[in-house]
Amino acid sequence: MRNIFLGVVVACAFVMQGVVLAQQTRHPDLSGVWSYAIDRAPAALKKEVNGQVTIQKIDQSARHGNASAVPGVRPSTPKPSYKPEFLAKVKDLADHESRTDPVFYCGKPGVPRIGPPRKVVQLPKETIFFYEDISGDPYRVIPTDGGAHRANPNPSAYGDSIGKWDGDVFVVDVAGFGDDTWFGEDGYFHTDAMHVVERLWKDGENLVWQATVEDPKVLTAPWVMPARVTRPATESLEESPKCVETDAPRLLNDDHHLQR
Amino acid sequence: MLYSRPIGARSTSLKQTVSAVGLVVFAWLAAASLQAHHSPSAIFDMTKHVAVTGTLTRVNWINPHIVLEMEARGEGGKVQQWTFQSNPPSWYKSVGLARADFAKAIGQTITVEAVKARDGSLYGYMDKIKLPDGTSYELVNNAEPK
Repeated sequence: MRNIFLGVVVACAFVMQGVVLAQQTRHPDLSGVWSYAIDRAPAALKKEVNGQVTIQKIDQSARHGNASAVPGVRPSTPKPSYKPEFLAKVKDLADHESRTDPVFYCGKPGVPRIGPPRKVVQLPKETIFFYEDISGDPYRVIPTDGGAHRANPNPSAYGDSIGKWDGDVFVVDVAGFGDDTWFGEDGYFHTDAMHVVERLWKDGENLVWQATVEDPKVLTAPWVMPARVTRPATESLEESPKCVETDAPRLLNDDHHLQR
Repeated sequence: MLYSRPIGARSTSLKQTVSAVGLVVFAWLAAASLQAHHSPSAIFDMTKHVAVTGTLTRVNWINPHIVLEMEARGEGGKVQQWTFQSNPPSWYKSVGLARADFAKAIGQTITVEAVKARDGSLYGYMDKIKLPDGTSYELVNNAEPK
């Protein structure tokens, strides 16, 4: 009798393990560290020691660019479409971006502006995104157990996320935003009605990320953002140094540039 | 000897002129895409290059720009407190440099080349640093070594 019991326990353990493995292998595994997906200064570092010159280039593969040819990427437009009554506000914010953009002053970029994750940990019932950002190093725990959004989440920059698979594409539905972040460059403000859908999938060894932004209070239509493609990375994540913005009093014009 | 001087005050050999032009090009490119910030041209006169030699006093490894502080002597021997910012820590990490690579020179004489703040203050955007051991680091266009 005891042997039968042990046999049943062992069999159950094998079955459970099989279920877990099946859950993990049924979909592509997005786990891993991915290259830093922000626009960086397109400079290289020239090092000279005793006349020996070496040049260290940086990986800029994840820069804003044209990823439309990547399989699975949906057609996008460069800019969102705001309702006419908000166009002047967007222009004014954009014109004075170096003074009005919260990110310029160490603010959180939030979703979707932060872009693709730096690290993904894919588990059977949740997937975790980790980021490195000058405003701090946020993370997102994304349930994938079929549940709904939390009821009455506190407004936040990274929102309340739930994930599911659509074939080989990991789809993250994000709601519960505040209204104090921008969803992109050029004064792209939003309201607490913003709703974002992120899609992530593998293209060979690379990770592809594309987001769609809806905000019926200010936009005339959902904005499909240009996709970002990030390569696998080997360096570990590191705590971002604190952000201390001291340049504001020195700004003598409104020059600014592409960033997140 | 601690001193600061405009790069233009150096002898004007063709090589140095080309170098200065290269700095302008670099600075403009850098201005196009630094992380989460204004353009350097909003603060710095991208045509006004200086080379400052002095004692490194502090390395502040912060976002959105690393900051180096230096004590140098200006004309007449007056002590000047210079501050230089440069690319973000994440950029330096990506090219394999850490705070320690600069901080090891604290208390020693270094030379920094930079573009100077438009407001006339002793503030610059560093694009080259030469350390006491002779090692130099320079931000250049993303080109292959010649």
